[in-house]
Amino acid sequence: MKFKSRFSFSGFLILLILGICLAAPILSPYDPNAIGVADSFSGPTGKHWFGADDLGRDLLSRILYGGRITILIAMSATLIALIIGTLWGLTAGVRRGWVDEFLMRTADATMAIPQILFALVCISAVGASVISLPIVVGILLSPTTARMARSAVVTELSSDYVVAAIASGTKRSRLIISEVMPNIAPQLLVQLSINAAAAVMLEATLSFIGLGIQPPNASWGTLMLQGYAKIWNTYWFVFFPAMAVTITILAFNAYGERIRVTMDSRRSSI
Amino acid sequence: MKNALIVNNLTLSVPSSKGRVTVVDDVSFDIPAGTKVGLVGESGSGKSLTAYSLMRLIKDPVRIDKGEIYIGDREILGMSMKEFRHMRGNDISMIYQDPMSALNPIMRIGAQIIESIQLHSDVNHSQARKLAIEHLASVGIPEPDRRIDSYPFEMSGGMLQRVVIAIALSGEPKVLIADEATTALDVTTQDRVLTLIDKLAAERGLSVLLITHDLGVAAQFSDEIMVMYAGKLVERGSVNQIFSNPVHPYTKALLDSRCDYTIDVTKPINSIAGQPPRPDNRPEGCVFSPRCEHVQLQCREGVPPLISVQDRLAACFRADELFHVGMVH
Amino acid sequence: MGKFLIRRATSSLIVLAMSVVMVFMSIRILPGDPVLAKLGAATEVTPAALKALREEAGLNRPLLVQLFSWISRALHGDLGVSYFSQFPVTRLVAERIPVTLELTFFIIVIAVVLSLILAPLSTLKPGSIVDRVIGYFTSTGLSVPGFVIGIIFILIFSLQLQWLPSRGYVPMSEGVAENLKLMILPSITGGLTATPYLVRYLRASMLEIKQSPFVRTAEGKGLSSARILFRHILPNSLVPTLTMLGLIVGYTLSGVVVIEYMFGLPGIGSLAIESSFKRDYVVIQGVALTIISFFILTTFLFDVLCGIVDPRLRLSKEQKSEV
Repeated sequence: MKFKSRFSFSGFLILLILGICLAAPILSPYDPNAIGVADSFSGPTGKHWFGADDLGRDLLSRILYGGRITILIAMSATLIALIIGTLWGLTAGVRRGWVDEFLMRTADATMAIPQILFALVCISAVGASVISLPIVVGILLSPTTARMARSAVVTELSSDYVVAAIASGTKRSRLIISEVMPNIAPQLLVQLSINAAAAVMLEATLSFIGLGIQPPNASWGTLMLQGYAKIWNTYWFVFFPAMAVTITILAFNAYGERIRVTMDSRRSSI
Repeated sequence: MKNALIVNNLTLSVPSSKGRVTVVDDVSFDIPAGTKVGLVGESGSGKSLTAYSLMRLIKDPVRIDKGEIYIGDREILGMSMKEFRHMRGNDISMIYQDPMSALNPIMRIGAQIIESIQLHSDVNHSQARKLAIEHLASVGIPEPDRRIDSYPFEMSGGMLQRVVIAIALSGEPKVLIADEATTALDVTTQDRVLTLIDKLAAERGLSVLLITHDLGVAAQFSDEIMVMYAGKLVERGSVNQIFSNPVHPYTKALLDSRCDYTIDVTKPINSIAGQPPRPDNRPEGCVFSPRCEHVQLQCREGVPPLISVQDRLAACFRADELFHVGMVH
Repeated sequence: MGKFLIRRATSSLIVLAMSVVMVFMSIRILPGDPVLAKLGAATEVTPAALKALREEAGLNRPLLVQLFSWISRALHGDLGVSYFSQFPVTRLVAERIPVTLELTFFIIVIAVVLSLILAPLSTLKPGSIVDRVIGYFTSTGLSVPGFVIGIIFILIFSLQLQWLPSRGYVPMSEGVAENLKLMILPSITGGLTATPYLVRYLRASMLEIKQSPFVRTAEGKGLSSARILFRHILPNSLVPTLTMLGLIVGYTLSGVVVIEYMFGLPGIGSLAIESSFKRDYVVIQGVALTIISFFILTTFLFDVLCGIVDPRLRLSKEQKSEV
């Protein structure tokens, strides 16, 4: 049996992005909020690789620091979605019956509310912050996670080894912790990666329509909003943050896809 | 007698971890016009792949490596797909294993027959519909003028297999292949469908190749029987020859392993020891040698050719000898 | 068909009811006082005046009572009055909805047409260069946010080439050509966002159908590959894809909010965003209700369409659980 190399470009890219964001204070050539370190709307130069914004702030530094905010919000949201979603789906899948019916209908109903509108309502009520954004985004992502967790649990619980274990008197609760959870872990990992991509996308979208965290700090989405407002003056102002967002989402999606493919091929080779 | 179908040295392979391995190995046979031949073998013996080759329905990753197939006097493996497409249905047709999935679930059965009729003859839609009703009537579907507007899910398995037969015969082919055509049906329906194919074949003078894993079905239906094992044709003879006096040890073992409750319930079933070899692990010499009770040194060293023995064909070095001994244990 | 329709309609109504309750509750539970927002931070308010205003708005009654009175009024077409402009929400939504519907319609048409071209093309020869290029296009497309696509189009077609305008709206009644010209970029942006989902789904579904025994039967008849594709494979793949399309319309409605905003189209999406800056909850709530109803109505319609395409759904009296 041949295996693909363990090295994955998308995984490497994710680590690189996380590393760069963590090291932003070291890597940033300028204070991200310092006004006038460059000429307003200066194009990319040797001193300012990504150019400068309307207030003459160094764009590279702003993107590095913006990444910290975007990634922080996305990571917290992913974690929240994972916890809520897994509990939600596990409960539905294990209890079945009307509990299942109710929980899954609620998931349907949540998914029927357009994400942006739901966020619009919540964020405009409580204001955008590093606390509120992850919670709102996390809640929005949890129903899909719940559905996935539920179907994985239901499949596992009806598989032969579980039926046999129950028949031989193993307690269900023990079975779920010791057998079912490890078996659905790879699927959760895939969902985690897809959720991270979706969280980055949602955060960027919300910031882009003005629901991001408040100035002078700016996430990638906020930078894009500012850049978009000045699109007639310069193109790189909006272009570079847009690239940062897109590459990050691509990396997370590609990584999720990769785990899924590996998982499938391993399953089918058994 | 003229042959309706000739297969020469057909060889098929599939990819495996050890490179491409042969699944149908140098198979040659012919079907004289108007004869019904049964091709019997276990699953994995390559009998269905042989059948699909005749329709050129072999799909990646299976590949035809070698061989010639003549339908009438035209070689089909060498011609373009576009050219061969016109022979499908017209010269050669097939009945498939599971009638429930062999029909398009969201298309009325009438439309599925009409589609085939219009392909093969230049008739307008209402004429084709009339013909379709006639075809349905000829395969024994009651109220064909009403049934023609049914969807597959509204009909039983036996009725659906009749529809599949009607489609297969709508182009008036000369050769009909039935691939496990009755396997998915229950026993009484099996019998009726077999009788129907038999009747239609006689009326139209069809040459039929019946693929089955069930020796009983093959015996009931065919004039001649071919036995396939691990990609090789091992014996061919009349029903009588195969049943009363098989010469190949595999055929013999296959007959012994049938559980025939009608004869003697207490009689033990003799199963063949061991498993058929996987395609990537075929033995040297005769493919049956590892499981054969009459195995000798020469069987492990050389591949026995399919040659005429006692008025029939067999691929066994000791066929003649075993025929005379009668293979008594 | 009757039973099938009733079952689908009931489950749609349940989902609708639940999401409406969720929208209503989230607005009431969350902190932030709509009355204060209405008065504005600068105004000095006495507690008595505040109380009076709350009573006037009915905000002092129990939540459940508020919910039921809101729903019953909504059923009569009364979505309340904007705190800010004092216009009835129904009127605000009605004024703006044609823009949103037009945009959504174009987006869906573009996505469907592109998918019906790309998916069959890629299944023609799985693994070929064409298939791989389409594969890269879809997986990249799934990762690029809609507004980034929009930005790229504006950069190319408005800024660089100066072919198309990037902002504004002209109603159809005032000029069809002008209207369409302004709709091109937003529609393509939305269309390209939705296409990858549809292509990916339709492709997978077609490849699966391609393996079915009945496709082999069709080949055995001697049909041409084109006929097999269009008469046998595609119709059968459409059944699951239609359900998916219903969901995609939902995502599109969400995406439309952003697209309207970035291209300056005065639809209900922009209305919701503008209202959120003013904390005009009644309006947001009305827009949410409208969009959710549209979403659920379309998924229902696509289910019905499924029933028309698939006789098994339409005709069987007892639902069989075969897939």
